[in-house]
Amino acid sequence: MDPDSPRLRLSILAVVVLSLFCALFARLWYLQVMTSGTAAAAASANRVRTVAEEAPRGRILDAKGRVLVDNTPSLVLTINPYDLKHLSKDRQAEIKLAVATQLTESGVPTKVTTIEKRLADKQYNPLQPIPVATINDDLYLYFSERAADYPSVSVERDSVRHYYNGSAAAHVLGYVGRISQDEIDAKQGNSTNAKGIPKPYQPNSNIGKSGVEKEYEDDLRGVPGIKTIEVDSKGTPIRVVSDTPPQAGSDLVLTIDIDVQKAAEAALAQQLDAVRGGKEKGNSHLTKAPAGATVTIDPNNGNVIAMASFPTYDPIEFVNGISSDRYAELQGTDPAKNPFLNRAIQGQYAPGSTFKLVTATAALENGLIAGNTRFVDTGTYILRGCKDGSAPGCTKRNSGGAQNGGIALPQALTASSDVFFYSLGDRFWQDGPKSGLQDTARGYGLGADTGVPLPFEASGFIPDPATLKAAHPDATAYGEGNNVDSAVGQGYVLVTPLQLANVYATFANGGTVYQPNIVSKVLVYGGRLDRPEDVVRTIDPVVKGKVDLGPAVNDPILQGLLGVPRSGTAQGAFAGFDLNAFPIAGKTGTAQVDGKADTSVFAAFGPVGGVRYATAAILEESGFGADAAAPVVRHIFEVLSGQTASAVTAVPSGDTTR
Amino acid sequence: MTLTTRSRSGVGPDRSRRDLSAPWRHLDPVLVVCSLAIAGLGVLMVYSATRNGVGIGRTPGRNDHTYLVKQFGFLVVGFVVMMLTASIDYRKYRDWIIPIYTLMCLMLALVVSPLGATTKGAQSRFELAGLQLQPSELAKPVLILALASLFAAWKGDIDVRRLGMALGVALLPMALIMLQPDLGTALVFIAITIAIFVAAGVRGRYLAILALVGVIAVVGILKSDVLATYQKERLTTFLDSKQDTGGSTYNVNQSQTTIANGGPWGKGLFKGPQTQLGFVPEQQTDFIFTVVGEELGFAGAATLLLLFATIMWRTWRAAQLARDQLGTLICVGVLAMFGFQVFESVGMTMGIMPVTGIPLPFMSYGGSSSLACFAAIGLVLNVHMHRFR
Repeated sequence: MDPDSPRLRLSILAVVVLSLFCALFARLWYLQVMTSGTAAAAASANRVRTVAEEAPRGRILDAKGRVLVDNTPSLVLTINPYDLKHLSKDRQAEIKLAVATQLTESGVPTKVTTIEKRLADKQYNPLQPIPVATINDDLYLYFSERAADYPSVSVERDSVRHYYNGSAAAHVLGYVGRISQDEIDAKQGNSTNAKGIPKPYQPNSNIGKSGVEKEYEDDLRGVPGIKTIEVDSKGTPIRVVSDTPPQAGSDLVLTIDIDVQKAAEAALAQQLDAVRGGKEKGNSHLTKAPAGATVTIDPNNGNVIAMASFPTYDPIEFVNGISSDRYAELQGTDPAKNPFLNRAIQGQYAPGSTFKLVTATAALENGLIAGNTRFVDTGTYILRGCKDGSAPGCTKRNSGGAQNGGIALPQALTASSDVFFYSLGDRFWQDGPKSGLQDTARGYGLGADTGVPLPFEASGFIPDPATLKAAHPDATAYGEGNNVDSAVGQGYVLVTPLQLANVYATFANGGTVYQPNIVSKVLVYGGRLDRPEDVVRTIDPVVKGKVDLGPAVNDPILQGLLGVPRSGTAQGAFAGFDLNAFPIAGKTGTAQVDGKADTSVFAAFGPVGGVRYATAAILEESGFGADAAAPVVRHIFEVLSGQTASAVTAVPSGDTTR
Repeated sequence: MTLTTRSRSGVGPDRSRRDLSAPWRHLDPVLVVCSLAIAGLGVLMVYSATRNGVGIGRTPGRNDHTYLVKQFGFLVVGFVVMMLTASIDYRKYRDWIIPIYTLMCLMLALVVSPLGATTKGAQSRFELAGLQLQPSELAKPVLILALASLFAAWKGDIDVRRLGMALGVALLPMALIMLQPDLGTALVFIAITIAIFVAAGVRGRYLAILALVGVIAVVGILKSDVLATYQKERLTTFLDSKQDTGGSTYNVNQSQTTIANGGPWGKGLFKGPQTQLGFVPEQQTDFIFTVVGEELGFAGAATLLLLFATIMWRTWRAAQLARDQLGTLICVGVLAMFGFQVFESVGMTMGIMPVTGIPLPFMSYGGSSSLACFAAIGLVLNVHMHRFR
């Protein structure tokens, strides 16, 4: 055929057009018949948005049902830094200035730099709205009406924690804060199976960060509501597809009695204030009294009635988020004064002579001595492993060089004879059982977590050759001298105030080691303690162990401890306290710390005969146990026994025993 | 020719009485019905895409009739224009082609002057008393007439000089359109020019050389700064549609999702979620095919394509039956215009062609485009009607 034939050329055009149409049909078939399933999913993902609505968090009540923490609505202004970044520079500056101006006019003085700092704060997810300030109703109205004028700025109705007693029990309660990525990962693993998680978190969810808020997060947190809405291409909601309302979290009933708690906190703080700035007797160390803690336990079940730690903080600081700057400011640069530490469970101290209860139990249990075995306390003790007393570390003395003469165990406790207990430590090491002291200490629960349901608990330390090597590989091997030190609660021995209180509680109840408890019941949201149907679950006492305290062990020790506030080292601190109406047994402790004033320790329980309370107090760099710690415990017992509370002041002491 | 014989047999005794209306007796009803059917469907689809107001940037929720009413008006006016275009013998147009062509170039020049209005980066329209006029749309049938007249006037061989002249006639309006810049319309002009060159008998080697120059020009344009970056991205992203969900591939992905979402039978008129919630941009104009795809499904979309194919067939048939080369070339020009616009406009919504702003004939919202299409079909009807006298 002639290539230039007009008919051929028209045919070529027809073929071209025909093939183009074939291509269109083929593609149309592919899209609409072969792949329409996947497209349907993509189209539905386009227009369906799932919005989580946080549920009210459970309340926290004290042992008598008084509300300590609940929720209050809060209006928060947030800025989404991701959205803000996508505006022009001028518009960004304009919006920040407008927000700062409006906030300032509403009575919250705010600078643009403050907002910028907040937005740059690394603790926030830069893809999520960042809370900038709490606002009032007027400002809420102002910004919600002008949402279009201020892109990236939004106002939210939030539910925040409300604390009825200020900073009281702050360490026990803890605080909530915005969840971190690590916490999300820990709580829900990889987010692909988020459907199996009963209480899923959003990047802007709150989570308990410390205290029972953290430990009982799963009870306190409610089930978020899920709202599925259909939106158009601009994101405007068109209709609600499904709406599952949120379910509130559960209330917690603490074992804490807020009255006792407040009294303990006040007594501790006032005593530290009183002691601070003084000079220790017998040396030049200043009593800086920077920190301390006191714990009161019910020996019959391990319930913690009061747990105070100084210095403290006000949890209101964390409501609506705390800036990194403010957190650093509160935390301070001196770890010794960090208010966020709960020293009752995180502070580890040498217990000093309060440890003699443990040594005495060990000696009696192992038959090293009987209750009436007498020693002659000449004021000094020479280690049996030494040829004479002149070698370094071979001679140990009573503090102040006291000589108690011929004494048995009760007098040795009452007067706090170190020589008596040095010899017990020495005999354990030389005659065995070599680990008798440590076994009893561990039997009392020392050297291990008590298991109190609070985060970040420290376990203290009970030294023996193995544990010392593990903890301090470079230290000289544990030996005779160490065991002699351990017998009087010095050297490497470390306890937390809670552990110490629990040791005395264990002795007081006849030898049952309870796991200290902080929450007794979980109630439905808004539930009442006196309505059994409101109880979701009851948390029963947990027995961790048993110390064998037969009369041969118990009686001489109890006799000695009863003597301490009556005629012993704490006689001055308990002057005027009606010990007949409310018999107290206790022990002072004065733990030496290199280069610092002594740690003042006191542990006691009462009323003997029907014991209900065991209390320990430890005050850092505060001097003798009888001077600083004992008055704090006395004050708490006054409140517990209903006696007229005395002013807490350091007892002017002529007492030189430990 | 058998066709001629059959027609002659219809010419009976009262030839003189019927003589005046003779051309109308040869009106192609298939072409008229298909055009009106597509345009009617177009009015419905434009309404579906705009009734919620989401896709056109208004407050969503109210029942918006603005586009429905306007597009129906374009249909009515377009029908009248089609009939008027058909009624004047196409050979008359050849006599007026020089002033018509000059007027077209003048308007294309004026629209890029400060008198023109800018929409979406292209200065392509006049705005007068609420009415908009897009001269580049009306220039399509004018270019077809001009090139057809030129080649029909040259009997015999087309030498380089004549080819150069024909190229000049095609390139002048194209250059003016690239100044707007409106790449899509310029591509339609290229398609028309190539088709008429082929049908007019331009030698194979000239066509090959032109194709080579064309390829070099395209590569050169893509490398240079003649096109805006967004235009280059649109032209190249169809090759790799998953590269960027937020940018220029968004349209293509949403568009394909929307069509595929229709499935075999569609979601039902006014019931396509992607359409009604406004997820496809420019849905009442360049992406109108997605409405058909989602709401009427494969059944509806394939029917629409069949209607277009029928128009192609009748136009190609008219080209073959035309009594002279002028008629043939006019029909070929219209065939190229419709064929390219349908393939590009439908192909880009399905991701097999790059995204350029080309209206789907008779379907896309817009007066100038509708009028140009009706006028073009009017020309084909004209050639078909006047094939005997």
